[in-house]
Amino acid sequence: MVELDYDIVIVGGGGAGLYAALWAAENTILKVAVMTKVYPTRSHTGAAEGGINAVLTHSVGDSPEAHAYDTVKGSDFLADQDAVDIMCKMGAAVIYDIAHRGVPFSRRPDGRIAQRPFGGASFPRTCYAADKTGFYILQTLYEQCLKNNVTFLNEWFLLSIIHNGERVEGITAWDIRNGGVHLIKTKAVILATGGHARVYWNRTSNALGNTGDGTAAALRAGLPLKDMEFIQFHPTGLAKTGILVTEGARGEGGYLRNKDGERFMKRYAPEKMELAPRDIVARAIQTEIDEGRGCGPNGDYICLDLTHLGEEKINERLPQTREHAILYEGVDPVKEPIPIAPTAHYSMGGIDADKLGRTPIKGLYAAGECACISVHGANRLGGNSLLDVLVYGRLTALEAVKYADEAPETNPSVAKAKDDEKRILELMEADGKEKVADLRKELGNVMMKHFGVFREEKSMREGLEKVMEIKERAKHVKVYDTSKKFNTDLITALEFLNLVDLAPAIAVPAIERKESRGAHARKDYPKRDDKNFLKHSVVKLKEDGTYELSWKPVTITKFPPEERKY
Amino acid sequence: METAVLQVFRYDPEKDQAPYYKEYEVPVEGTLLNALLYIKDNLDPTLAFRAFCRSEVCGSCSMKVNGKTKLACKTPMKELVETWKGKPLRIEPLNHMKVIKDLVVDIDKPIEKMKTLIPWLVPDPRVVPTDPMHESIIYPEEMEAYKDQIHCMLCFSCYSACEAVADNERYRGPFAFSKAYRFQVDRRDIETAKEKRIRYAISGGLWSCVQCQKCLYVCPKGVKPAEDIQNLRGQAVKKGFTDKPGAKKLKHFVDWIYATGQINRLYLPEEVYGNKEAREKLTKAYTEMGVEVWEVPKPTKGLMKFRDIYLEILSKEDKALDLDYSHVRKIDKMVSDIFKADICTIVDKAHEEGRSSRGLISKLKGLLGGQ
Repeated sequence: MVELDYDIVIVGGGGAGLYAALWAAENTILKVAVMTKVYPTRSHTGAAEGGINAVLTHSVGDSPEAHAYDTVKGSDFLADQDAVDIMCKMGAAVIYDIAHRGVPFSRRPDGRIAQRPFGGASFPRTCYAADKTGFYILQTLYEQCLKNNVTFLNEWFLLSIIHNGERVEGITAWDIRNGGVHLIKTKAVILATGGHARVYWNRTSNALGNTGDGTAAALRAGLPLKDMEFIQFHPTGLAKTGILVTEGARGEGGYLRNKDGERFMKRYAPEKMELAPRDIVARAIQTEIDEGRGCGPNGDYICLDLTHLGEEKINERLPQTREHAILYEGVDPVKEPIPIAPTAHYSMGGIDADKLGRTPIKGLYAAGECACISVHGANRLGGNSLLDVLVYGRLTALEAVKYADEAPETNPSVAKAKDDEKRILELMEADGKEKVADLRKELGNVMMKHFGVFREEKSMREGLEKVMEIKERAKHVKVYDTSKKFNTDLITALEFLNLVDLAPAIAVPAIERKESRGAHARKDYPKRDDKNFLKHSVVKLKEDGTYELSWKPVTITKFPPEERKY
Repeated sequence: METAVLQVFRYDPEKDQAPYYKEYEVPVEGTLLNALLYIKDNLDPTLAFRAFCRSEVCGSCSMKVNGKTKLACKTPMKELVETWKGKPLRIEPLNHMKVIKDLVVDIDKPIEKMKTLIPWLVPDPRVVPTDPMHESIIYPEEMEAYKDQIHCMLCFSCYSACEAVADNERYRGPFAFSKAYRFQVDRRDIETAKEKRIRYAISGGLWSCVQCQKCLYVCPKGVKPAEDIQNLRGQAVKKGFTDKPGAKKLKHFVDWIYATGQINRLYLPEEVYGNKEAREKLTKAYTEMGVEVWEVPKPTKGLMKFRDIYLEILSKEDKALDLDYSHVRKIDKMVSDIFKADICTIVDKAHEEGRSSRGLISKLKGLLGGQ
C-alpha cells in the first residue's frame, strides 16, 4: 500500500479546487496537492456560460447589500445570511483578482469590466467573458496553478475520508492511470468535487462525471449533508440529452409552445411570459407535459421556437445554441422549433459547512457545489455559482492553511484503505446480476419521476422505496474490466454507487419538507411554511444503512422572510 | 435502426502483446461519443476512453477517425457514415502520445512542454495594479489580439496532427505556441517575460514548424497555431533573435528579394547555415548539369518600382523593419562589382534597352490589391 504525505489535499480541480490551490500555494510553504479524477481543465466549471455576479467599484447604485438581498430572496429565505453577506462583500475582490491573473472579462468601451442583467438580480451585476465565462476562468486558474508549480494528482479518484471523529487524518484514493488504492496522509482536506445532479442520470445538464463523489464520501464518513432536497431544474434542456439551451434563447425572443402551438406561458406568467424566473418556467413546462400538452410522439417535451427570429439573428446571437440543436437534437432552430424539457442542473444542497466552509470535522472543508454553506438556500440565482466557487475556494484555502500550520501530524490507519481495496475486489468478483448502465438509468428515471420538478407525498414515498430497492440491487453490479490501468469500468461503477448513496439523502428530506420553497415544489403543500420549515434539513447515514433526518436553524441577520414575488 | 460498424483500437499494455481492432455495431444516432458510450453501456464495459462535458467545452474526447483528428462529442455519426460511405470507421487514439489504454493517451508530456513556454500572465506592475481592489483597465479593442488563442481547450488535436512534433521530439507543439503567443500580445504582460517566452520558444523549436497548416484545420475551436507561430517568429526577429537558421533564412528572403527580386540559391547555404563551400560546389554542380548559373541576377527594368511596391507590402504587414539595409547595400555592391556599374545605371540602361519586366510588377500589384 503506497502512502503519500501532504499537509493539505484539495479534492477536485474545478473552479473552487484550483482557486483554493492557488491561494494555498501563494500563502504557505506547506505541501499542498490537488487531486482530481479528470485533468483540471475538463472540470465542469468550464461549462458555465452566463457569468459571475459581483458588485464592482463602478457599479453605480448597486451595493453588496442589494446583492445579498437578491440572493436571500432568490433562495426563498433559506440561505444563511451571514454567509451570503461574506460572499457578496468579497465579490469585487475575487473578480479583480482573477482579472489581474488574466481572465479576459468582456469590457465596456471605457475599459472597465462589463456587467449585464440576470434573473432575480435588481441591478446588472453579472460580469461575463463572452458566453464562456466559466471556461476562461478555469483555463486562467489552471495557468496560474502551473505558474505556481502546484502539485497535481491528475486522474485520481476519491474513495474514502479518514477521520477520528474529531479531526481529519487522511483520505484514500484510486490512482486511475496506474491502478491501486493509495492511503494519503494529510492534515487538512478541502472537498471541491462539484455537484451531484447526475442522480437524474437521463435528464441533466451536468457532465458525465458530476456524480457527487466528495459528497457521497462525506456521507459515508458520517458527515451531515444539508438541504439535499433542493435540486435546481433548468427549464430548457435539450429533449434527448438534457444539454443546456441558454436562457439567452428566450432573452432574444424565443417562444415556448405546447403541442397545440399555444404560447402557454401566458397562463402562468402573463406579464413576464417566457422570461419569468427559472423555477416558474420549469414548473410551467412540466405542467404542460404532465397534463398531456407536450409535443412529440410521447408528448414528453415542449417546443422552444426561434424560427421567427430569422437565420441572421440566430447566427449572430445564438450560434452555440444553433450548433448544439443541430448536433445533439438533429434540429435546425432556423427551420424548426427545438424540443426542450426541464433538466436537472444544480445541487443547492451538499456537505454541511459553515460560513467559512468548515465541516463538523476539524481540518475538513467543503467549497463550491459539493458544499452547502448555505449561500443558495432553496434556489440559486444565475451567476452566483461561479462567485460561490471562487469565494469559498479562497476562504477554505486560507482556513486550511491556518489549521494545517498548527495541527499535529496525523496517523491514519490503513484499515480504511484495506476496506476500499476489498470493496473494489468484491466489485470485480460480484455475480453481475445487475448492470450499472441499466440500474443507473432506472435510478435516473425514478428520481425524475418521483423527485422531479413537482413532488407529492404518495409519489415520493413510492419513489423512496424504489430508490432503496435499487440500492439493494446495486450490490450485484459487477466490474468486468479487471485490469489496473485506466479501468473506466471500475470508475463508472464507483460513480454509480456514489449516486446510489446520495439518492436517498435527497428523497428523505424531500418527503419530510411539507411545504413548497424554491426548487422544492410540492403539489400537496403548494405554499411556503415559514412557521414549520424555515430551517435546514440535515441528513446523516447511520451505520445500519438508514438515513437519519434532523433540522437546523437558518441564520437570519438583516432580511426577515417575506413573500417572494417578482 | 440504421447502424454502423466501428473498428476500435484496443490495447491494454498489461494484457495485450500488441494493439488490435475490435468491431462494434452501433446505432447511427447522435455523436461519435454517443456511439462510444453505447458500446460501454451495452456491448463492452472494458473499452477505455476519456469523456466528460459531452458538449465540446472540456476537450477530453479527441481521437482519430480513419486517420482524421476529431472531437467525438462534436462529430455526428450521420456525418461520418456519409463521409466514409460503406467504409468501416476506424477509431484510434491520438498520435505522438503514448497509449495508456485503448483510446486514452498520455497527455502529461505535451502539458509539460507547454509549461516551458510560460503560458500564463506575468503582470507588469506598471499596467496591472498591485492593489487587489483596483481595477485594471483593458479596452475591448486590445482584446482582439488574442480573441482566438483563448479558445484553446487543450484537446491536443493539433499536437496529434502536427508534422513538426513527428520530426522533432523537443518541438513544443502548435497549441503551446498559441498559448504562449496569447500573452505576447497582452499589454499587461511584462516585457521581460515576453523576451523569455521568445527565447524558450526558439529553443522549443519555433523555427521547426514547416507551416503545413494542419493544426489550423484540425482545431475544433478555431485557434490558428500556424499563424501564431509565424507571428512569434516575427517577434523573435524584431527582438534581435537572428542567430537561428530560420531567422537567417527569413532575413535572406527579405533582403535578397528586395535587392534583386528573387532569392539566391548560391548564397542561401552560406547565409543561413554558414556553409562557405556551398557556393563553389553548387556552381560546379550546376555547370556540370548544364543548369544556367549566375552569381547575382542582372537588375532588370522596373527594379526600383518593384522595391517600392515590396516595401509597401512589408509595411502593411508591419514587417518593414525586417529589411536590413546594410545587407541590401552589400548585395548592391556585389551587383555593381559584377556588372561594373552602379545599380541605378544598370537599371536605367535596362529601361533604354526596353527589356520587359512587366510580369514581376503586375504580379506584385495584384498581391497588393488583394490585401
